[in-house]
Amino acid sequence: MTASIAPMIRVRNLHKHFGASHVLRGVDLDVARGEVFVIIGRSGSGKSTLLRCLNFLVEYDEGEVSFNDVLVGYRRRADGSLVRDSEANINRLRAQMGMVCQSFNLFPHMSVLENVIEGPVFVRHMSRRDAVAMAEELLTKVGLADKSAAYPSTLSGGQQQRAAIARALAMEPKAILFDEPTSALDPELVGEVLDVMQELAAEGMTMVIVTHEMSFAREAANRIMMLEEGVALEVGPPEQLFRAPLQARTAEFLRRVQR
Amino acid sequence: MNDNYTWHFGLIWDFRGVFLRGAGVTLSLAVGALLIAMVLGLILGMLRSSKRRYLSAPTMVYIEFFRSTPTLVQLVWIYYSLPILTGIQLGSFVAVMLGLGLHSGAYMAEIFRAGINSIDQGQWDAARSIGMSHMRAARRIILPQAVRRMIPPFINEFANLMKLTTLGSVVAVYELLHESDNLIASTYRPLEIYTTLAIVFAIIIFPFIFASQRLERYWRARS
Repeated sequence: MTASIAPMIRVRNLHKHFGASHVLRGVDLDVARGEVFVIIGRSGSGKSTLLRCLNFLVEYDEGEVSFNDVLVGYRRRADGSLVRDSEANINRLRAQMGMVCQSFNLFPHMSVLENVIEGPVFVRHMSRRDAVAMAEELLTKVGLADKSAAYPSTLSGGQQQRAAIARALAMEPKAILFDEPTSALDPELVGEVLDVMQELAAEGMTMVIVTHEMSFAREAANRIMMLEEGVALEVGPPEQLFRAPLQARTAEFLRRVQR
Repeated sequence: MNDNYTWHFGLIWDFRGVFLRGAGVTLSLAVGALLIAMVLGLILGMLRSSKRRYLSAPTMVYIEFFRSTPTLVQLVWIYYSLPILTGIQLGSFVAVMLGLGLHSGAYMAEIFRAGINSIDQGQWDAARSIGMSHMRAARRIILPQAVRRMIPPFINEFANLMKLTTLGSVVAVYELLHESDNLIASTYRPLEIYTTLAIVFAIIIFPFIFASQRLERYWRARS
């Protein structure tokens, strides 16, 4: 699974401050092509911030994030210093990384179909007809073929999140970032979203997932990172973290959330 | 009740042409000023929300200046001072339309800003994460949602603007109030004429209020 030489997503010594609080304190991270990488940790540990640095929705202030060997958000000047990259370059990189958020964030003024074709038509400049054909295929894949004309507010949380996944997939991303995709869902709706994610993982999609769903993490992840106070406490395959964590604090966290 | 006064609404009918002409001027003043205010308000509203201080600070000065000084003074100033300072002499109609546009633009800017700010940050994030530029996200995702919430304050501002057109009379624009004052000077029937003036205003403004309510209901039903 982690056979390819260069990691797809590479993070080195990542730091982020929000005012006086130092949220990320030197995080390193490698995600290989096709890998399912799960980030766990207490709320406030910096998980979401880390994830949002990967597509530069959060602008990190020290360290580097690169995606397929391209620096994210900054470019290097001749003297080695970093300056903010052009908006066009940042947008191009973002279009290659899908993102699915806790609160779905579907566009409420558009039908499900329009949500899905928005990116293909207006960012990738696909013809409307091709975009619709692709969107219908994707909606079938996530089990929403019959909801393409519906407006988001008429859907259940689970349906909205699956529509959001279809919208992300419509960009034909090289990786998808999931930020607590099931946290806002009623318990009985969590399964249908996780099933879609499992399917994507099985197809070899590269995924970085922040989640509290430990049984999903255990089943689907190739590797798990335990983040604590902006530091990667430990990274390893699920068997290691769940059976024999290296850090006492990881063990304590897992004990608490799995009760 | 004092029944010494005899109402003479009959004379209004004789002057219907004057009211019609005044209404035409008033409406075109208001619509012209509204168009200026909308374009200006959109631009200022976006600049005002900008994180860059050199964009937001001057915008704020503009907005607060126009909101805190009398509209009448603004109009008089544009009509009389602009030619002194720049050599450009605007016709009184254009000067009032421009002046009201600049004035109302400040209010529109706040409406746009509030509308844009009322949209959840997650909508920006979602638009940005499918690779949209800031401008495209604003145009395709944020503004269409914001505009729907802006309809009520927007109609409110239009109604205000309609009434502010009466200030045009001070620089001799033949809008409704100016026409009415002229009529009063020749007929000595201020009560009948002002009452009619009020009714004409209501007739012009009401359809907009009605339409906005229908539009709101339509959008609510759809989402």
